Amino acid sequence: MVTRTSLVIILLLTLAIIAGVRFSLLLGLGITIGFILERYGFGFAGPWRRLIRDRDAQGITAQLIAIGLTALAIQPLIAYAPGTLIGAIAPVSFTMIIAAAVFGLSMQMILGCGSGTLVNAGSGNLLALAALPFFCLGSFLGSLLIPFAIQSTPHIPLSLTKLLGVEQSVVITLAGLLIIGLVVRGFSQGSIWNRRFLTAAILLAALAILHVLIAGQPWGVVYGLGLWAAKAAQGIGWDPNTAQFWVHPINASALKGSILTDTTSLTNIGLVMGAAVAAWIDSVNRPFEQPIAIWYYLIAALFGLLLGISSRLAFGCNVGGLFSGIASGSVHGWAWLVAGFIGSIAGVYLRDKLWLLASREAK
Amino acid sequence: MTRRVGIITAVSAVIFIVVFDWLLGTPPDPYRAPDPMAFGSNSGASGAICSFAPGAEE
Repeated sequence: MVTRTSLVIILLLTLAIIAGVRFSLLLGLGITIGFILERYGFGFAGPWRRLIRDRDAQGITAQLIAIGLTALAIQPLIAYAPGTLIGAIAPVSFTMIIAAAVFGLSMQMILGCGSGTLVNAGSGNLLALAALPFFCLGSFLGSLLIPFAIQSTPHIPLSLTKLLGVEQSVVITLAGLLIIGLVVRGFSQGSIWNRRFLTAAILLAALAILHVLIAGQPWGVVYGLGLWAAKAAQGIGWDPNTAQFWVHPINASALKGSILTDTTSLTNIGLVMGAAVAAWIDSVNRPFEQPIAIWYYLIAALFGLLLGISSRLAFGCNVGGLFSGIASGSVHGWAWLVAGFIGSIAGVYLRDKLWLLASREAK
Repeated sequence: MTRRVGIITAVSAVIFIVVFDWLLGTPPDPYRAPDPMAFGSNSGASGAICSFAPGAEE
């Protein structure tokens, strides 16, 4: 552990020197988040699956607490420093809602959401490793589709803090989370409290708040994945001037700059590395191959692609859309939650059927 | 094979992406780095964020 900690510290110091302190802090944040998610077994796809399948609400209760604590801090902070700090505010639209449902389904098929796929890949999970390159590709393809989606259907950005003011927005956000918590509690068959998940949720909220203070914007995942694929496409001759999304000055600047200065790229790299650090010792006792037929890896690749496309059209995955969206007071975060959960219900049943077939064939 | 193979693969892929970007793109310039923290500084958010929807800002 000492060697791994030393390596991380050397890496962060090096990045501070070659790129800047802010970028080093963001990588450090990503590593810490990846470590916590892996070490505490905390995520998004798994808790939703356990609620749907087993009526176990412990994970989702912790998620609601993490979002609530983050909202309590970042909504006033963003209102206090407009222009410097921004929220994850995105439009609500028909395509956004459908895309969130597709994401919910897809994340159950590979048991990995936006952050979960990176953490699972970092911990050496073969299915996540098969899905991740396609997740990046899908995120890039989704970025090419965003302008068409915006032109074809009404896209209405709704910010509760702008509509109602900060105090009312925070109250409505916390009340909404409480109502969902009560519904989930009514559905649950056992206790909704789990000390390990609650610890992870509090740590995650603290890190998400720090992310806003350091980066000036909430935590996200898919933007960075799409950026990596866009850079690869550029390397093989793709012209970004042909894509409306990438011509916008913010995106063009990200494409031109180093990924070592891109916020979501740094936290994504950190998620993989943090999970790798957390999983390293136990990894010698865990098999690399999974007891399933080869074709399920193709399924993972396909749903990895869908994760990428849908998360761009839904203006974020479970992190940038759901977690950061709701915490910022964006109505699209709430629409994401409902649509993503409906998609997840279908995903849990589809995954169980296909996984059973893949397991039988492997025997 | 153990999961350690997968961990090494994932970390190697990340290193490859960083090196590929460094060689083919613009390397970071520490002299143009923003302030360590956006909060309380003049260098705020980059705006490159998942919720960014060009054309639907208003």
